[in-house]
Order: sequence, then C-alpha cells, then structure tokens
Amino acid sequence: MKIFNLPEKENMRPGHLACQGCGAALAMRYTLKALGEKTIVTIPACCWSVIDGPFPYSSLKVPLFHCAFETAAASAAGIRAGLDIKGLEDINVLAWAGDGGTFDIGIQALSGAAERNENIIYVCYDNEAYMNTGIQRSSATPYGAWTTTTPVKHYKNRPKKDIVAIMAAHRIPYVATASVGYPDDLIRKVEKAKNIKGTKFIHIYAPCPTGWKCKPDDTIKISRLAVETAVFPLYEIENGYKYILNIKPEVKKPVTEYLKMQGRFRHLTEKEIEMIQKEVDFQWKRLLEKCNQN
Amino acid sequence: MPISLSDTLHNKTGTWRTFRPIHKNKLPPCNKKCPTGENIQKYIYLLLNKKYEEAYREIKKDNPIPSITGRVCPHPCESKCNRGEFDEPIAIHHIERFLGDYGLELKDNWEIEEKKEKIAIIGSGPAGLACAYHLRKKGYKIKIFEAENEIGGMLRIGIPDYRLPKDILDKEIKKLQEMGIEIETGVRINHPLDLAGNYDAIFVGTGAHISRKMGIPGEELDGVISGLEFLKKLNLGEKVKIGKKVAVIGGGNTAIDAARCALRLGAEVKILYRRSRNEMPAIESEVEEAEKEGIKIEFLTTPVKIIGKNQKVSTLECIRMELGEPDESGRRRPIPIKGSEFTLDFDTVILAIGEKVDLKLFENIETTSWGVKTDQYTRTTHEKVFAGGDCVTGPSTVVEALGAGKRASIAIDCFLKGEPLPVIKDKKPVTIENINLDYFERKKRKEPEKIEFNRRVNSFDEIWLRFDEKDLLEEAERCFSCGVCNRCDNCWVFCPDLSIIRNEEYSVNYDYCKGCGICARECPRYVITMEEER
Ligand SMILES: Cc1cc2nc3c(=O)[nH]c(=O)nc-3n(C[C@H](O)[C@H](O)[C@H](O)COP(=O)(O)OP(=O)(O)OC[C@H]3O[C@@H](n4cnc5c(N)ncnc54)[C@H](O)[C@@H]3O)c2cc1C
Ligand SMILES: Cc1ncc(C[n+]2csc(CCOP(=O)(O)OP(=O)(O)O)c2C)c(N)n1
Ligand SMILES: [Mg+2]
Repeated sequence: MKIFNLPEKENMRPGHLACQGCGAALAMRYTLKALGEKTIVTIPACCWSVIDGPFPYSSLKVPLFHCAFETAAASAAGIRAGLDIKGLEDINVLAWAGDGGTFDIGIQALSGAAERNENIIYVCYDNEAYMNTGIQRSSATPYGAWTTTTPVKHYKNRPKKDIVAIMAAHRIPYVATASVGYPDDLIRKVEKAKNIKGTKFIHIYAPCPTGWKCKPDDTIKISRLAVETAVFPLYEIENGYKYILNIKPEVKKPVTEYLKMQGRFRHLTEKEIEMIQKEVDFQWKRLLEKCNQN
Repeated sequence: MPISLSDTLHNKTGTWRTFRPIHKNKLPPCNKKCPTGENIQKYIYLLLNKKYEEAYREIKKDNPIPSITGRVCPHPCESKCNRGEFDEPIAIHHIERFLGDYGLELKDNWEIEEKKEKIAIIGSGPAGLACAYHLRKKGYKIKIFEAENEIGGMLRIGIPDYRLPKDILDKEIKKLQEMGIEIETGVRINHPLDLAGNYDAIFVGTGAHISRKMGIPGEELDGVISGLEFLKKLNLGEKVKIGKKVAVIGGGNTAIDAARCALRLGAEVKILYRRSRNEMPAIESEVEEAEKEGIKIEFLTTPVKIIGKNQKVSTLECIRMELGEPDESGRRRPIPIKGSEFTLDFDTVILAIGEKVDLKLFENIETTSWGVKTDQYTRTTHEKVFAGGDCVTGPSTVVEALGAGKRASIAIDCFLKGEPLPVIKDKKPVTIENINLDYFERKKRKEPEKIEFNRRVNSFDEIWLRFDEKDLLEEAERCFSCGVCNRCDNCWVFCPDLSIIRNEEYSVNYDYCKGCGICARECPRYVITMEEER
C-alpha cells in the first residue's frame, strides 16, 4: 500500500552529521536517488559541507568537491568542462548550495553560469538562513522571521527574494521548486532536469528544526503546510516563460497554521500575520495568473 | 589535494538519540469490538493483496461460520471503525460475506491431532457450533445434541431466507461435520448432568426459545400466533395460515422478521411497539428495510385486548403510551396514557414481544433472573458444565454466541488440561486522533447491490447480492489499517538518517537513528511509538 514510489537505491550513507529532522539531508537523499551514481557534486561552504562528514570521511557514494562559498556554479561549470573534454558527457554535475550560497554570495557565479547556459544542475536547498554559522539572516529568510541577526525587536522586514523569477529571467531551459514533503514530485523534477541540456535550477524547500525553532519531527508536516498554505508553491518554468503549477490545494489553508508551528515566528502579532496572509494571497494570485490557472 | 576515501559508517549517530522509535502494531478498534475477536484489519489487508484464501482462513481462525455472520451480524465492528469519524465506516460485513462465500467453495484440509477426551454440546445454534469447532480443532471428540430435527438453532428456525438462505447454512454446517463434529438431531436433553457420565465436559448452548405471553384477554383466539412459531414453521417449510391484515406486536428481531415474512406472503402488515424508535432492540438497518418494504410501525402503542368474532381475531383494542423514567434495562419505561384507547381491525395477530430462557434445564446450577449464571469464560457453578449464547445473556446476537462458544472452548481446554485460564487483557484501541489524516482522502463507502424492489417484497429471495470484485477492492482500500503496518513505506521514505530496515517486518537501525521522530509522525496509522531512552 505504498503512498510514495521512490527509487530503491541509496547513494548516501548514514553516519552523516545533519541535525535531527534535517530537511537538507532528505533533499540530498532524494536528489541522489534520482540522479544515480554517475554524478559529481560540488558543495560550497554550508551545512552540507559539515553534514557530509569531516576529512577523510564522506557520507556520499558519489564524488564530492568542496569549493569556496561563492563558487558553486563556477566550480560546477569547470568540472563540466573537464568532463566534456574527457568525453564523459553522461556524468551529471550537481552544484549543491544553501540559500546563502545561492541567493547572496553565490549569485554572481550562478548568474554567469546560467547566462552561458552551462550544462549543470544547480540545486539550492533552502533553509531560509545561514544555518551552518548559527542562524544569520539571508535574502531567503522570509518576512517576519527571527534569526540571530534579525532579533525579535528587529525581525526581518523585507520579503524573501524571488530567486525563481531571477533564474527564469535568464531564460534557462528549466527552473523548478520542490519540497522534501513531496518526494515523488521532487524526484520527478530532478529526473526531468537530468535529461535536459543546459542550466537547470531547482529550488528545494528544506526545513531546519534547529534554526526554525520547531520540533525535529515537524519537518515533513511543515513542508506540507508550506504548500497547502501557498507559502511555498510547487511549480516549474520551462525556457523562462512556460509556468506549470504542480499542486493546487483544494482549499488554501490559512498561513497561521504554518507560522504557529515555528518558534522563529512566535513574536508575530495578529496584525502582522494578517499582512503576511495578504502578501501570500497576492503572490499566489500572481502565480496562478502566470500558470493560466484562474 | 586531500581526498576522503572513507565513509561515515563508523560514526554511530544513534548515540545522539533521546527517544527511540519502535515499530509496534496496535489494536484496531474493529478487532477490539468484535465479540469473537476477528482480526478484521488483517483479512482486509490480505484481501487487498488479492490473497482471498488466506483472508478467508484468517477469519476462520475466530469465526466458524463467516458466510453467515457476513449476512446477519449487526457488525458492531463498523460502529467503532475510525473511518466512520472521517467519512463512512468500512463495509466490513459485506467484505466478510464475500470472503465467507469464497471459502464455502474451498476445501478445508484440517490436520487434527486426536485427543481422547469427549465433549458433549447441547444445542446446535451458533454458540454450540462455535464451541464444537474450536474444540474440534484442538482434537477433542465432539458430540452435539439438538432437540429439533434440523441443525442451526435460530439460524435455521428464526432468521428467514431473504437474509440467510438455507443452502448457505447447510454448506457451513457440512464444513463443520467434515471436521468430524458429530451432530445428533431430535434428542432433547433434560439436564446437562445427564451426560456427565459419558463426557468429560458439557457445553450448554440452548438459546432462548420460550415466547413471552402478553397476558391480555383474547390471546387464545384463532388467528393469534407467536412470532417465533410463525417463523419456525415458515423456515421449516410447513404450511402457515395467515390473513390479509396482520398486526405484529413487538420491536425485536423476531417482530421485524415476522412482519417482513407476512408481507412477503401478501399481507398488509403493521407493527405495534410500545416504546419509541430509539428503544427498539431490533437491528436498526433491518427496521429501516422493513419500513422501505412498506411495513408501518405504530410507536408508543400496545394492545390491551384482542377481540374476536366467532372465535376468530377481528379487532385489537390498543392504548397509546408515553415514556417515563428509565427502567432496569436503561430504556425509558412506557406508561399507558389514560383514556387514549382506540381500536384497529386485523385478522391475524403475531405476538413477538420477546423470548425467554427455559431455566428448567438448569436445576442445581445457579441462574440469574434471565439465564444461566457464568463467568467471562462461560463457567457455570458446576465445574464440568459450561454455558454460553442466548441461554446466558437472554436474546442477543449470533456473534455474541460465537464469542461465548470460543471462550468456552478455551475454558474447557484449560479445565481438561488442568491449566490456568489466560487473563483477558483490556487493551486500548487506536483512535481517530492517532491516525495521520493528511494521508487519506474522503471517499464514499461502496456496498453491493440489492435485488430489485418488486422481487424483494414478493419472494423470499436473498436481498443483498454479492460484492462486485472491483467495488470490493476499492472498499477495502479505504481501510485505515489502524495501528497495523501495511508496508506503506512512509517511515523509510522520510528517514533523513537512512535508518529504516525493511525486512519481513520493519525495524529501526539504532546504530544511526538520531531519534528525530519523523517516522512516527508520518506513519499514517500509528504503528511507530517513540519511547524515551534511558
Ligand atoms: C427471528 C430472529 C432473527 C434474528 N436475527 C438476528 C440477526 O440478524 N443477527 C444476529 O446476530 N442475531 C439475530 N438473532 C439472534 C440470534 O439468532 C441468536 O442470538 C443466536 O442464534 C443465539 O445462539 P445460541 O446458540 O445461543 O442459541 P440458538 O440459536 O437459539 O440455538 C439453541 C439451540 O439449542 C437447542 N436446544 C434447546 N434446548 C435443548 C435441549 N434441551 N436439548 C437439546 N437441544 C436444545 C435449540 O433447539 C436450538 O437449536 C435473531 C433471532 C431471531 C429469533
Ligand atoms: C567567503 C566566506 N564567507 C563566510 C563563510 C562562513 N560561512 C560558512 S557557511 C556559511 C553560511 C552558509 O549559509 P547557507 O548557504 O544558507 O547554507 P546553510 O549553512 O544554511 O546550509 C557562512 C557564512 C565562508 N565559509 N566563506
Ligand atoms: Mg541556509
């Protein structure tokens, strides 16, 4: 009586160093199930440079290259070029970076690679802050959230950067959002990306119980609520213009359900939550328009 | 450039854990509610995997006559089905009937290790048959004594064909006889201890067969008949006289079935019941069916006098009732309303106000005011004599009788071996709050079809048809499988630490499990429990 049908083979091992309930660990597990063992991963400074294990150990069954914080896309492009010269075109190159490494410091390298349409898969696993260094705000941190650099009194008062729109504006062949709460959908998207030539960008929602101040067993429930409230919708964009909505909740749940499960939003007043709701509704409406869904 | 060539398997992250997940199946509410302890969740699971024979054998572990309960059981299991609080309960009894019928066509190959002890069973109703079946499986030699010329108790003489065709009953009985159960009909036992000399233990399952009298003038008139007598004659194929306008007095199964039989014989039928619908002891769905068939029910009405013309029934004098304080049965007591008398014309009156246990049979064995006195394990005050079914509880249900027969078999087995009885544990069943409803969508319950209406009211043909196989599987798929793993894989799917082991059964690799608890949370059915590490 299966609910999800995942490829059986694991390309990752236990003994890794992710915290309890880590969404990023699941994101990697699913992504490598989809890509298979013919894959090289490059990882800039982020939680995953720790999760994988200290020298001389690695939890991945595929080669992993640790690169500088701002260079995920550039190093992936370099590895690709090297492989292509050797005629190893069937090997996937995966750039695997956090939101800080993608939205902030790595955006220049990413934009360059995308503009050149480098044949790589770039995954940003988004835990909505600089978690590895102790929960500092990034441009992926959502409006209203607490982090150590946006304390409750000065909670983050700017919206999350729309990285998906930025990547679509590069007119690369494939951009998608995905979530660890929807493993079937995530794996389908990675498999689809694998078979497309050019730059593929996948933005994976990956809760961080440590940084979000939620219970470790909430990871999947929160991921599901993010989609059901339209805080983090699941959709794809082909060639920079063709929007496809993957999941349309029958009834959109109120954002409070999502917010109240996480300590990082605990300080929000009813009025502030109402504002967030309005913004989510507005962005959802825009997305539906782009997807020709209303 | 430094290169890591070792893996992380040396890093036993299990030491981080403060809570450990444990796969531990729990008790589904349906199983808990079934008086004969059927493993309902399990046979539905087997059925879903198209293992029909295994599913049938699973029911048979606890129930000797599933094709019968699948038809007539009021299915208390469904009333506790957690799915009922989400949309509608699983159609368990239709599933049971499908499997029961499937099994009727199969050969049971019993490998019975013979024991030397002999056990006598008095009465071939469901209680006696169940006790015989379970003891025979254990190897005891069984002899059933039945007063009637036919086997089955109320299944034979009470429940009519449109709900339980006789050939189904015959086939189930034949299966039991093929196990080596001996049944002698036409012998009425006067006292259980009459058999004590030849048998090592005696089980009494004599039912409740004495029709209560109303004690009103006119009961002796031509055209007045007891409900049970009427049904018995019909069921045994004897000729029954019945008029055109029939009154049935009572609100139990006997009243409803007598009314529906009279209707099928062409009469216009009215039921008079002294309390209101809520207090009716008959199976609710059967009452609804009777009304759909065109039977009128006068609630809060009772006859005070049967008036005759030339020794034949012609009129009923009735009185209206109102409900007062609850009586010892917990139901509100009906009180006549003075001056509300009125008359109705009938040519036949069927009295079906209830059946009593014949207590004459139990001299020197302790009884209550309604039946034989026993403990939970059917032990009477005489160590060799066990009793169960209607003769203990008063008129009840088939499945209660089956449960009593099963418990008796355990008690008798222990008695003969000189072993202590197993303790009956009261386990808490899984509730709807334990189910992760995110994994289920609302879906309408599927049931089989009925035969068309005209045929229904004009014949004794069985009403319910067999479950269409596609619908059956869709219905089975709605089962939550409360508290019992059905290999949905969710724990494995969502484990960030690759610590779920999927063998015959699922387990956790505690070397690496960090105890995040996602597996327990995302288990749709509450199989995984988090227990504190110490
Ligand atoms: C009309 C009617 C409809 C019913 N419908 C349903 C229904 O739909 N669903 C349901 O669950 N229940 C129903 N019931 C109730 C159900 O039939 C009984 O609860 C059940 O049969 C009780 O089983 P039992 O084995 O205790 O007794 P019984 O079935 O009454 O069997 C007792 C047997 O013992 C025999 N016996 C009695 N005295 C002696 C003696 N001295 N020596 C030898 N043999 C003896 C009797 O002849 C009889 O065969 C119905 C009952 C009636 C009357
Ligand atoms: C150039 C540079 N600046 C700062 C750091 C320190 N540093 C390491 S990881 C990290 C945060 C990474 O955040 P993110 O990309 O969101 O990944 P996460 O840790 O949240 O998984 C920082 C600031 C660094 N390694 N290199
Ligand atoms: Mg981050």
